[in-house]
Amino acid sequence: MLGLAKGLKYTLKNLTKEKMTYQYPEEPIPMPDRFRGIQKFYPEKCIVCNQCANICPTDCIELTGKKHPDPEKKGKIIDTYDINFEICILCDLCTEVCPTEAIVMTNNFELAEYSRDELFKNLEWLDENDQNVRKENKA
Amino acid sequence: MIRTEEMMLNVGPQHPSTHGVFRLVIKVDGETIVEATPVIGYLHRGTEKLAEDLQYTQIIPYTDRMDYISAMTNNYVLCHAVETMMGAELPDRAEYLRVLAMELGRVASHLVWFGTYLLDIGAVSPFLYAFREREMIINLLNELSGARLTFNYMRVGGVKWDAPDGWLEKVREFVPYMREQLKGYHDLVTGNEIFLNRVKGIGKYTKEEAIQYSLSGANLRCTGVEWDLRKHETYSVYDRFDFNVITREGGDAWSRYQCRMAEIEESLKIIEQAVEQIPDDGKYMGKVPRIIKAPKGEAFVRIESPRGEIGCYIASEGKKEPYRLKFRRPSFYNLQILPKLLKGENMANLITILGGVDIVLGEVDG
Amino acid sequence: MTWIDSLLQSQPSWTNFAIFAGLGVTMLSITLGFVTFAILAERKVMGYMQLRHGPNRVGGRFGLLQSVADILKLLLKEDTRPKQADKTLFVLAPVIAYAPAFLVIAVIPFTEAFKFTDIGVGLLYYIAISGISTIGIVTAGWASNNKYALMGGMRAAAQMISYEIPLVMSVIGIILFTGSLNLVEIVQAQENIAFIFLQPIAFLIFLIAGTAELNRTPFDLPEAESELVAGYHVEYSGFRWAFFMLSEYVYLFALSALITVLFLGGWNAPIPGIGLNEIGLGAVWFTIKFIVIVFLFMWMRITFPRLRADQLMEFGWKVLLPIALANIFLSALIKELFF
Repeated sequence: MLGLAKGLKYTLKNLTKEKMTYQYPEEPIPMPDRFRGIQKFYPEKCIVCNQCANICPTDCIELTGKKHPDPEKKGKIIDTYDINFEICILCDLCTEVCPTEAIVMTNNFELAEYSRDELFKNLEWLDENDQNVRKENKA
Repeated sequence: MIRTEEMMLNVGPQHPSTHGVFRLVIKVDGETIVEATPVIGYLHRGTEKLAEDLQYTQIIPYTDRMDYISAMTNNYVLCHAVETMMGAELPDRAEYLRVLAMELGRVASHLVWFGTYLLDIGAVSPFLYAFREREMIINLLNELSGARLTFNYMRVGGVKWDAPDGWLEKVREFVPYMREQLKGYHDLVTGNEIFLNRVKGIGKYTKEEAIQYSLSGANLRCTGVEWDLRKHETYSVYDRFDFNVITREGGDAWSRYQCRMAEIEESLKIIEQAVEQIPDDGKYMGKVPRIIKAPKGEAFVRIESPRGEIGCYIASEGKKEPYRLKFRRPSFYNLQILPKLLKGENMANLITILGGVDIVLGEVDG
Repeated sequence: MTWIDSLLQSQPSWTNFAIFAGLGVTMLSITLGFVTFAILAERKVMGYMQLRHGPNRVGGRFGLLQSVADILKLLLKEDTRPKQADKTLFVLAPVIAYAPAFLVIAVIPFTEAFKFTDIGVGLLYYIAISGISTIGIVTAGWASNNKYALMGGMRAAAQMISYEIPLVMSVIGIILFTGSLNLVEIVQAQENIAFIFLQPIAFLIFLIAGTAELNRTPFDLPEAESELVAGYHVEYSGFRWAFFMLSEYVYLFALSALITVLFLGGWNAPIPGIGLNEIGLGAVWFTIKFIVIVFLFMWMRITFPRLRADQLMEFGWKVLLPIALANIFLSALIKELFF
């Protein structure tokens, strides 16, 4: 009986304690700076080296480049850049290998959509995703 | 004339107490189980086969998803295997950060077990109290690695990030707090007579049986076998800490409960010492080539995960990808004793025994 | 003689019938109102004890309309029935479980004036009628044609039989002291001292056996979620399911009221002898005591794990029943020696 009484005391004590829940949709949850959310893409920085597409464990990145419009300059510039968030696992490897930090993580994580098709994010969308960009990208 | 017959009952894959998509086909006579056949594979994703087409760095996120309750140990076992093959040297700080992350993960994992086990037994509140503390650990690991569950924190040759400013201080503060909360758990649960009646003497097996069935972790130590790889086949920097291997003699669900609760305290001890000892040089990545290639040959390493011995076997042909990768997943091996334990028990004990084994289905099915 | 007493003793007439029907409907609404807010209160208390807020979206900060919304949702839900189920019994089971829950409220005297009957065997009536609900639960378990439901139904039957006996045995002490089964007289006998002080053992037994009768944690085996998924009502949905839930909470209401009447002195003031009884606050005293008991039930549910089926039986027959019998003997001795 003593054990039962101790338990009752413990739960009663917790009745007035501070609540641990988040008021989530009303108040956004602050995430630490390192948090891996949806990627932000800087098209002007990209050198089309394909490293991100190669390292991606789930093959969710597809990109194509085109010739630099200025014929003087060598190399390519980015043409299309798509991430399929149906299979992206936000593992951070693409940002880790990117030599120019053209792709970086943000702290945004709300990706719910009504249609699966909307989870294909293209270059424009990823470029516009410029809120809460991670400060520290290369460790 | 009254006639009785045995009834076949499918427990799972959609059952609240199977902790995922685990199915158990049982034959019951009234409420007494005559025969039990576990059916697994509902969560099989073919990690090992997928890994054959992936570079070593790419496999790390996949290991996160095996034992998703303590992803850090999985990260470690893969990196440790590759490092062993390459003979890579790690800076001390990286090892300490790994140990801190793993031990925090172990505490979190045992807390999840504690909460869900009590939920199985019918008490709702301990679950929420345990998750309050787990949330703090998750937040700490989130600050460290940038994710709450699938950390992807370790790399071959070190760790991805150094500890952020003030993180070690937060970990140091967490230890006494957690000790205080553990007292509360003991008040709420450990002394509770109903709980004691539910777990004492249930799912009993002997030392010999445990070894024969290849059990590991708390499932083995609850029979009195002193076997903890952190102590007996020491890896990383575990030889620099002072901690005990927890054993109990009973071999029943109650001993397993005691083992796990005491292991939380031992982990806290390790965390406390690691925070004190961690070198301050800021070097957290060893010298490894940019493209990681394990030399031709094979290696098997094993470490102590919260659920038992997790092992990783790599056969390599010297390429970027492994030729064959195999994980010894403790939940899968621990599950083998289940049909034997369930015979002759009733429905309520089924839940107590299944919960006491502490399985994670992502790990069982691989 | 109060207004209701004269009404109870008057000749049967249509006017009389209309008055009682009106009162019955009022009581029904009060009970349903209680159920609505008891569910909310339980979820709130549970939330606060578990460091959560509980319902806080529908109906303001305190979620005052949450239960109403839930009931509306249940009304609109599709009513499913397994193909192989026994159709008649499947439909009948919730009714059998639910109707007795309301029937028992008839005998409970809330205050001196606020009561519906004054029958001599009120206590016996309560226990006898409440036993019928078990048949509804067993029927539900059987008719669903589901193995989990069947197990739940069987557990309910076994549990009910085991715990009905200590429940009855524990109140015999009170009957000895009062010399009556009439609940009004039992309350009147407690004018000076509540029976909880004279019969503490009986109170504990009654509380434990009562929890078992209510199928609440730690005795919620018939619907044990982690073992039997949902037990006897696993195949029920929509309002048929709501009927089982309603009957559970109406029983919570009835049993808490009965404990208040039997052990806490009903409408008598908590501290006797200082003239509190005369100021006409009977309803207030009753409500306070009643809420304390309801809170106790919630508190136990939040804290304790569930018993195992065989331990439950053992506890009922080998512990509670002998103690209850010993208590009768003790009560008889006390009655003989001191009163």
